[in-house]
Amino acid sequence: MKLYVSEGNPHGLKVLAAAGLWAHGVEIQRLQQDEKVVPFLSQAKLPALELNTGNYLFCANAICRYFTLAAGKEQGDLTNQWMEWEATELQPVISAVLYATIVQGKKTEESLAMVGKQLEHISQNLTKKPFLTGDAVSVADIVVWGAIFPLLAEMSTLLEDLSSLKNWFKKVSDLQPCQKAVESLFKGKGPSVFKAYLQKMPAPS
Amino acid sequence: MAVEELTALEKCLGLKAGKYSRRAQGSSQVPVLQTNSGPSLAGLATIASHLVTQAKKEELLGVSLEEKAVVQQWLEYRTTRIDRLTSKEDVRTTLKDLNCYLEDKVYMAGNKITLADILTYYGLHPIIADLSIQEKENYMNVSRWFSHIQHSPGVRQHLPSVVFIKNRIYSNVH
Repeated sequence: MKLYVSEGNPHGLKVLAAAGLWAHGVEIQRLQQDEKVVPFLSQAKLPALELNTGNYLFCANAICRYFTLAAGKEQGDLTNQWMEWEATELQPVISAVLYATIVQGKKTEESLAMVGKQLEHISQNLTKKPFLTGDAVSVADIVVWGAIFPLLAEMSTLLEDLSSLKNWFKKVSDLQPCQKAVESLFKGKGPSVFKAYLQKMPAPS
Repeated sequence: MAVEELTALEKCLGLKAGKYSRRAQGSSQVPVLQTNSGPSLAGLATIASHLVTQAKKEELLGVSLEEKAVVQQWLEYRTTRIDRLTSKEDVRTTLKDLNCYLEDKVYMAGNKITLADILTYYGLHPIIADLSIQEKENYMNVSRWFSHIQHSPGVRQHLPSVVFIKNRIYSNVH
């Protein structure tokens, strides 16, 4: 199978980390952000996974799921709930914050207030267990981590009041496949690496 | 909308009606199910997957690894794309993409009906019911798939049946 990612696309982070943690025999190809890979989609959408059967997965979360399923990990209600929350509630806010700070140059503190409620939700759920779905790192952790990393990498002071989130974030960030994913997408630069990608996105309403 | 839809899915699966509430999220409402056994569950796709497991019809979540991932992908497409179509342009792009995807497929994942077909059908219903005859013909593969799913036993429930014409009228349209 082939995993297509593009430089500076924040959604690449979770799929690269999940591939490193759970998948075998994945060939990784780097493309320009506007290259079209998935034959049935009219707009370019990356990351994408081309399966050996010739089918495509074009949702980053579904790609992460595929890797964990292939590694024999079953997914229950709690995992599904986190994945759906990430896609429907967290992601829109994160996109808006990244757009405001990186493209529109708004003050970091101002934009971060927008995501306070979501970060608190994550933190509250980590007070009684080390990871989102239990004692071990799961696909839910990688998906949520991948979403908030672009925000928190440079702005970790925000986490002073949310100690369980801070501990969890550090634990996941320290995993070797996560570090490698960050290196290969950030290339030692800050979140400004996402600027070209974000500029092509419609302004969040 | 989501709670009515989950109630329809319960009937389709032969389950008793569950206890639902709603949580506001931005301009939309997230359904919440109070389960008997444990904590409450939030989110349309999450609850729908849970109901399928309760009914012991796990095959609706896909049988092979690939089908399982594909089902979850289209469930996410439903909640992040179909539920957020705001402009005519968005609707057109979505129908065009689905039409292209369904060109060589009877169902969305594999060769049997799955939860992806059922929730995409529910989500698209108001959009498809609004299309003109000519538009239905333009999105021929979506129409064929939609007509097929609405005739699958138990799926349609309270939703009005959408009429499709089998013979092409606008034969010059591609």
